[in-house]
Parts: sequence; C-alpha cells; structure tokens
Amino acid sequence: MIRSLFTILAIVLLGAVFATIAIGYSEQQSLRPLAESYVQLVPRDLGAANVVTGILLPYRAFDTLGEVAVLFMVAASVGLILGAGHRRPEERGEDVQEAARPSSEIVQTGSQILAPLISIFAAYIIMNGHLSAGGGFQGGAVIASCVLLILLTYPEHQINVAFLSIAESLAGALFVLTGIIGLIAAGGFLDNHILPLGQFGAFFSAGAIPILSVLLGVKVGCELSVILDRFRPQP
Amino acid sequence: MMELVGSILILAGAAFHFSAGLGMLRMPDAYTRMQAGTKATTLGNTLLLAGLAFYHPGWSPKLLIIAYFVLMTNPVSSHALARAAYSIGIPMFGGSGIDALRDRDRKLRSET
Repeated sequence: MIRSLFTILAIVLLGAVFATIAIGYSEQQSLRPLAESYVQLVPRDLGAANVVTGILLPYRAFDTLGEVAVLFMVAASVGLILGAGHRRPEERGEDVQEAARPSSEIVQTGSQILAPLISIFAAYIIMNGHLSAGGGFQGGAVIASCVLLILLTYPEHQINVAFLSIAESLAGALFVLTGIIGLIAAGGFLDNHILPLGQFGAFFSAGAIPILSVLLGVKVGCELSVILDRFRPQP
Repeated sequence: MMELVGSILILAGAAFHFSAGLGMLRMPDAYTRMQAGTKATTLGNTLLLAGLAFYHPGWSPKLLIIAYFVLMTNPVSSHALARAAYSIGIPMFGGSGIDALRDRDRKLRSET
C-alpha cells in the first residue's frame, strides 16, 4: 500500500515537472539568426536542396570525418574483441552447439524478394542525400540491414569480409582524398566547389556532395556489415 | 468527396490498429497475440495508406511501394518470430487445441 502510494506520488511529481515544460513551451515562429543564415546560405552557396547535408558535408567536414573515425574505431575494436576467439568451442570447454536450424521457406522467399528492394532503397537514399532527407550514413545503415536480413535467413552464409574491408578502406581513403582536393582546388577541406554546382535541385548538382555521400555510404555500409558479421558465433 | 472517402478509410485503419492493440492485451498466449497484432496492423496500415492516397493523389506511387513493403515484411517477420518461439518451446494456450506444425513433423517422421 505504502509502496504504491510512493509510486503514485513519483508519477504525480514527474507529471508536474513535465507539465511545467509543456505549458511553458511555445513554438518558435521564426528561425534563429544562425539557422536562418544557414537556410539562406546553403542553397545559394553550395547548391544543395537539403540544408542538413550541406551543413554536414562541406561546412562541418571535420566533424563528419570525426564521426567516420569513431565508427571505424568501433568496427576495429569489435573485431578485436569478438573476432579474436577463433579457437574451436571444444577447446574452450563449452558444449558444441548444434547446427543452426535452417530458416523456413517463407522466410527464405521473403528475404530473396526483400533484399534487392532494400538495396535499391539504400542506393536511392544515398544518391538523393543532397536533395531530400537521407545521405551516406543513413543509406549505409540501410545496406547493413539488408546484410543482416541475409545473415538471419542463411546462418551458414559466409560473407566476404576481406572484400568488405578493402572496399571500406578504399572509400575512406577516397573520402579524405576528395577533402584534400577541396583544400587545394577550392576554398577548404571537403569543399564541394571542386565540381560545377549544376542546376539547383537536379540529380547531378551541388558539386562534390553526391560523390562524398556515395563514399560515406559505401564506407558506413561495409563497416556495419563487418560488425554484424563479427557478432555471429564463430565456427 | 475525396477527402471524405480518405477520412473514412483512415478511420477504419485506426479502428483495426485499435483492435490490434486490444488483441495484444487480451489474447492468452504468445502465438495468438502475435497473430492479432500482425493481421490487424497489416490491414490497418494498408487502409491508412489508401486513405492518404485519397488525400494526396500525387503520393500514390510512393504509398503503393510502402504498402507493398508492409505487406511483404509484416507477415514474414511475425512468421519467423512465431517459429522461433515455437522452437524454443514457449507453451501454447490450452484452449487453441490445434498444433499443425507438430502434426506435420509427426507425419514426416512416421513416413521416414
């Protein structure tokens, strides 16, 4: 009885705290000065319809590169921790797990239909990063979800980790190289003016942003796929 | 007129979603809860998307793709989940009475 009383009291107090926030909230009618300058500057200066991508890739390039580096370190450390145990289960003194049950026909057929669709969707997200919501990071995550679907459907399927690692490293090196070209040929690191801006809103526009998006997408997709593969029980 | 039809479809979809929620709360075991959630949300989502298509005819192709995606993924994923639950031995509600998978396995075993 006392306990439920305390629970009710806690809920009421929490409700009071949130109620003051909710009552005091008023939606902003206009943009803040910084947001407004970005909203005006990105389409005019960078030629990108998606302001977020415009900020993320050319303006805050070092930040993005830091995020990519963090993801790379996560992939490397997951590989180090989970991939090191290549000894056989008997040697570790554990019970040998029986072979994974094959997935049912419905799941196999469903994933065969879905995997190409998800890949096309991922490519769409990556290629439209400068026009609408999306970009390299998001598309890469969708690619990894496709890989996860394949791993769930065919537990015995061997993913070519070496190829993924090479593709990932290549994409990362090209990303940095594009940034350095921007440093030499245009205004600064990862500047997108190394290519013509093109017509605003067209598929090929916004300078180097689509190229950077594709490289980011390949890199993130490969990295997350390798991480997913590491989480499988090693043979 | 179009908006009225769209509103009715969206309302019907919401009613199916409500029945899905009710089924999740009221059904006796994991399997019946799963089928209540899956069937009702699949139809509810399709109705919602159809209603949206009446509101914004320009969105129809994209909504069609989304509906196809939901129709593909929702039943398959709940099938996989239910099978996984069955294979780790989550008990069935006694009142359902029928276990087609067990019957099929027995039949296969007796044939070999």
